[in-house]
Amino acid sequence: MLPQELIEYIHSSRAAGVTDAGILHALADAGWAGALMQLDDSVMRAVNLIKTYEGDTNALNGVSLSIQRGESVAIVGKSGSGKSTLMHILATLDKPTSGELIIDGRATSELTRADIDTLRNKKFGFVFQQFFLNGRNTCLDNVTLPLTIMGISRGEREQRGMEMLKAVGLEEKSKQRAGELSGGQKQRLCIGRALISNPGVIFADEPTGNLDSENSAMIMAMVLELQRSRGITLILVTHDADLAAMCDRIITIKDGHIV
Amino acid sequence: MKFKDILIISQKNLMRAKLRTLLTIGAVFIGVFAISLTNGLGSGIRSYVNRQLGNLGAENILIVQARQTFPNPVSQDVVEYDQNRQAGQFNVTFLGADDITKIRNIGGTKSITPQFDFRIEYIARDRNSKKYQASASQYVEGFRLEMAAGRLLTATEQNGITIPVRYVAPLGFSSAQDAIGKTVMLSYKDRSGLAQEREVFIAGVQEQSLVGNVDMTVPVALAEEIYRAQTDGASERYPALFVQLENAMADLEQVKQKFSDAGYDARTLEDQVGTIGTVINTILVVLNVFGAIALLAATFGIVNTLFMAVKERTSEIGLMKALGATRGTIFAIFSAEAASIGFWGSSLGIIASIIVGTIANRVATNTFLKNFVGFDLLAFPVLPFLGILAGGIILALIAGALPSLRASRLDPIQALRYE
Repeated sequence: MLPQELIEYIHSSRAAGVTDAGILHALADAGWAGALMQLDDSVMRAVNLIKTYEGDTNALNGVSLSIQRGESVAIVGKSGSGKSTLMHILATLDKPTSGELIIDGRATSELTRADIDTLRNKKFGFVFQQFFLNGRNTCLDNVTLPLTIMGISRGEREQRGMEMLKAVGLEEKSKQRAGELSGGQKQRLCIGRALISNPGVIFADEPTGNLDSENSAMIMAMVLELQRSRGITLILVTHDADLAAMCDRIITIKDGHIV
Repeated sequence: MKFKDILIISQKNLMRAKLRTLLTIGAVFIGVFAISLTNGLGSGIRSYVNRQLGNLGAENILIVQARQTFPNPVSQDVVEYDQNRQAGQFNVTFLGADDITKIRNIGGTKSITPQFDFRIEYIARDRNSKKYQASASQYVEGFRLEMAAGRLLTATEQNGITIPVRYVAPLGFSSAQDAIGKTVMLSYKDRSGLAQEREVFIAGVQEQSLVGNVDMTVPVALAEEIYRAQTDGASERYPALFVQLENAMADLEQVKQKFSDAGYDARTLEDQVGTIGTVINTILVVLNVFGAIALLAATFGIVNTLFMAVKERTSEIGLMKALGATRGTIFAIFSAEAASIGFWGSSLGIIASIIVGTIANRVATNTFLKNFVGFDLLAFPVLPFLGILAGGIILALIAGALPSLRASRLDPIQALRYE
């Protein structure tokens, strides 16, 4: 439970008209960032993220955002805007130069590498533009990869894998090699792989970038349907305004800022 | 990730580049095959020698010689004359009657028999039949020889000898058994150079052996008789003395030390045969070094193969890391690949060496080892092979450590961008 003084501090700050981001700012500096997360429903909260690459201008210039449970958020921006960097940091694939990322009330800066690996394995799902399927392995092997990494036994893996393949309409392809699938089928398989560990958050990085318009619409519809029916948070990175418009909220990034 | 899954994934990965995997396994195979075959050869020879040594008996007999000194060959010093010392570059110091007394005084000896230095010229069935070159040595009581037929000589033997089995046919006997008890003729030159003939009978026929006695043996009495005839008859110059110890259980090292303190060099027959072992070991070490060099080359092959695999599978590694695979998991997958290469290369190398060794044994025992009873050219005890197998796997793991580390440290974002 929170110490009384912290709760009082938050209430008095809010009463004084300080924004939540501002309160968090102050608390993050005091090492209390995680505590505040327990007060709200954010699945993920970023506080003043800055990312600097060596000898370059800032890729991220102080981004703060909060993402609610079950929400679908599109991060849009031109290439080089910093949207990919933001996604990588939110997905814990990269670390911010400064600032804090709080996931489920835990400050990621305080987590060990192994904790973060486990977090990604259990709480996150990924859909990539380039699929990253192992073409020589069966669809079942591909869709269950997160469970294999988790150390789930073969029997349970296959059972959950078949359920997942059914959900994405590929149950008849389970023994087929992933390399033999069409583009749309491949991305459906990737959606299955992203969802199989029952994650809280799915990151989709240009998921329709390699697909024709018909398949794009089908994939997007499937992602949103599964996301909504399962109450999963979706973070979609795209440069396509039409796709972004299908999400609950759009965050536009330009020159490392939210605009 | 489960260990079993790591193994399955690594095997699948190895199968992706079949030829490359096969070639790398082949390199390990060659090294292990060489080492394994050498090891088999060493075990075969050693087990034979040991068995022969076990047959030698005579644990309580010491061969005592004067401590040999080798003068500086370029020395110009004038050395005092010693009647027991042969002149020349490699002068051998002989033992005399005074030495027998001296050794008896050391104590603990049961009997002291001089080694009579004699030479025979030939052996023949009788005066009119074909003559064969022959060398003979004095039989020392207590020494066991493997006999094809007949018996060993005894201490009081006068006219019996034993001959190696190879003389049976030339002397016109139908079998070793047939030779027993038959009379043959030994000939030697006496001190004035005249050929003397001596009738003896065959008491036993010796199996051929690589160690121990390969000559005919004659009893002490006969050796002395020829020695006296070949020298002035009163000379007491012996290259060695056979000293039988009273107590066979005596601490040999302590006894040897006592002789050494008195200025003698005492060895058991086993010590003497042991020098054969040293020669064999040296040859085996050289062969092993060749095998080790081949294995070293193979480890570079493993390093290369795994680095290529890491490069090829960069995006896959990136994906696995994105999906939460830890550094340890990635390291384990690549290490398992390295270990598998080591395992397959070593197992196949060992199996091939056993097959080749078995064939070589069959060929050898039917040809050039025909007369050496109980000699397998190669022996294959299990333990050293398990050692070689473990060694091959460990070597591969060490070779795989660097590529595995590189893979485990890949940045997932960079890896996913890699094409």
